[in-house]
Amino acid sequence: MSWRDVVGLAGRGVRRRPGRAVLTVLAVALASALFSALLTVSRTAEVRVLDELADGGPLAGIEVAAAEPDPTQVDEDDADGGEPRDLDDAALAEIAGLPDVETVVPLVSTGVAVVPPDPVTLADGTEVTLQGDGDSDADGDEGGRRGMLFETVVGADMARAGDLPISVLAGRLPQPGSLQEVAVTPGWLARFGLERTDAERMLAVEIEIGAPRSFGDTIRGRWTRAEIVGVVAQEAASGVLLAPIELVTTARGWTLAGDDRFDLPSSPYSGAFVVARGLDQVASVRNDIHDIGYSTSAPENLIASVQRYLRVVEIVLSGIGLIALAIATLGIANALLAAVRERRREIGVLKAIGARDRDVLRLFLVEAGVLGVIGGLAGTLLGLGLAAVVGMVVNGYLHSEGLAGVQPQIPLEIAAAGVIGAGLLAVVAGGIPARRAARLPAREAVDA
Amino acid sequence: MRWRTRADPPVPGSAGRGPGGGGSTGTTGWAASRVNGRRGGVAISVRGLTHRYRTPTGPLVVLDDVDLDVPATGYAAVTGPSGAGKSTLLSVLGGLEPLQEGVATVGGTDLCGLHGDDLAAFRRATVGFVFQHFGLLEPLTAAENVELAGALAGRRPGERRRRAAELLEGVGLADRADHRPLQLSGGERQRVAIARALANRPRLLLADEPTGNLDEGSALSVIEALERSREEHGCTLVVVTHNRGLAARAPQCVALDRGRRVS
Repeated sequence: MSWRDVVGLAGRGVRRRPGRAVLTVLAVALASALFSALLTVSRTAEVRVLDELADGGPLAGIEVAAAEPDPTQVDEDDADGGEPRDLDDAALAEIAGLPDVETVVPLVSTGVAVVPPDPVTLADGTEVTLQGDGDSDADGDEGGRRGMLFETVVGADMARAGDLPISVLAGRLPQPGSLQEVAVTPGWLARFGLERTDAERMLAVEIEIGAPRSFGDTIRGRWTRAEIVGVVAQEAASGVLLAPIELVTTARGWTLAGDDRFDLPSSPYSGAFVVARGLDQVASVRNDIHDIGYSTSAPENLIASVQRYLRVVEIVLSGIGLIALAIATLGIANALLAAVRERRREIGVLKAIGARDRDVLRLFLVEAGVLGVIGGLAGTLLGLGLAAVVGMVVNGYLHSEGLAGVQPQIPLEIAAAGVIGAGLLAVVAGGIPARRAARLPAREAVDA
Repeated sequence: MRWRTRADPPVPGSAGRGPGGGGSTGTTGWAASRVNGRRGGVAISVRGLTHRYRTPTGPLVVLDDVDLDVPATGYAAVTGPSGAGKSTLLSVLGGLEPLQEGVATVGGTDLCGLHGDDLAAFRRATVGFVFQHFGLLEPLTAAENVELAGALAGRRPGERRRRAAELLEGVGLADRADHRPLQLSGGERQRVAIARALANRPRLLLADEPTGNLDEGSALSVIEALERSREEHGCTLVVVTHNRGLAARAPQCVALDRGRRVS
């Protein structure tokens, strides 16, 4: 008997008792749904947690400071830098040439004067003003305007923002090369008494940014008007403004052209963000950078520890899903045993007209497999749907807290495991009933 | 000895002696002896057949030293009261269960020593069964039930569809080919079962109380269908029946009582 005939006959056998088939499939589907939903949620949570640890950047990211390494802290995740040391193009090129370094993103930061509108009209039409007396750094002696803030603006290549530890909370990142767009951090929102949940409201506000230059007793500013296009949680460097590197380099150049009143660091780059090829390579890359002479920090040890804990959670959740699947396969075994009892005569007739034991065995195994695969397919789809719903609920909560949302992770291997695993477990569960059916004597055709 | 279906390669040394002369073993003999779709019947020879069933109270002898001869293309009726061993005799002759004691040859094939797949191959290649309960698979249509026998013999779908149509037409059910068993009357179901029994061109047709569940009119049409099949297909026919009138139609009548042959 060909496999095609066996499958056709098994399909008819399944459809013959729709009630039992539906219940059996439902049991498998629910188990598969639980299995795939748990794993998907687990995987999503893992990605979210690791993303949080990496501040939205790559897991294998390393912050390089324009400072010498502190020999006592070289192995720590969050090492303090030693004495300042210039980080220039030559040093960056040397770092980029290290083995296991994937990318190097330079960062530039500089102090600027920022003047927001007074009052600031938010996107929803409400108005807010600076909390307190403008800014602590506002200094009338230096010719500052009322409501002027002295802030640090961090510049990065926006085309490579994906390599940086930056999470967009609202809006978007500035366009690469733009001199009129900036993003702000929750620290900026706090200047106006706003929370992270108010991030959307700050969008489209225009501010003036002035690069100061000292001319002896006089300070003059080179002003530019920029729009706040996004609110970000950025940990690439300290500063409440994030802008394209071109904007920051221009501002810094203007300030450096004056006298040394502002005491800007001589390093062309305030730091760099280096991405290693993998988490396992982070330690060696950090050592190499230390050897070159720069301080680094990376959450590698923390990430490795958290990954171990998350793996345990994933194993536990997988175990729960597998137990559910095992219970469902017992349901398949029970349904097939009942079918064998009911179909003794039919099995006898099949043998009487020429079926071999292995034909009957295959017939029942395929019936089990069909139930398992259908249940697994339905359950996996249901599970992924459940995971998506859970993701939406979690996103709602995270957004209400002003945190970056989660993107449900739907790994293909989980979907495939849900379907194929259910099918295989069903075939295993059908083994005993199928063997029992195959061993029934042909005489059953006459006796039953 | 390993029995082979038509789809199997021939087994060396398994070629039979041809129709009428004791028959052949397996499909190689079938192919050689078939003429215009007729394969010829097989002769049956049984000597000292004894069969027991295990019961909680010990072995129960259901056939006791039975002798039987049916010539090739012969027609025999087996009668007797309930528990006489009629169905067991049929089961042994048809390879539904292994021979325990005695000698039984069907078409020159010694049934002694045939087990498992060999018995399945023997049933597939040589025997066609008709049961009192029809034995049709409910999810399948009449045509599909007939095709099933061909599928088990490894025949190609097109070939077995043609064969099923031809056989259903032969039993007057061409217009009921797409009906399921529950949509057919008892007599129609039994005629479908006869068509299925003939699907693989058996050389021995065994019918166990084929009219037991039928009214008189249907019973007559079914027994006539069996007799016509025997004539058209040239097979040997053995019918187990309680019905003396139907038994009297057979040229050879074998009576059993409590496992022993009484006439």
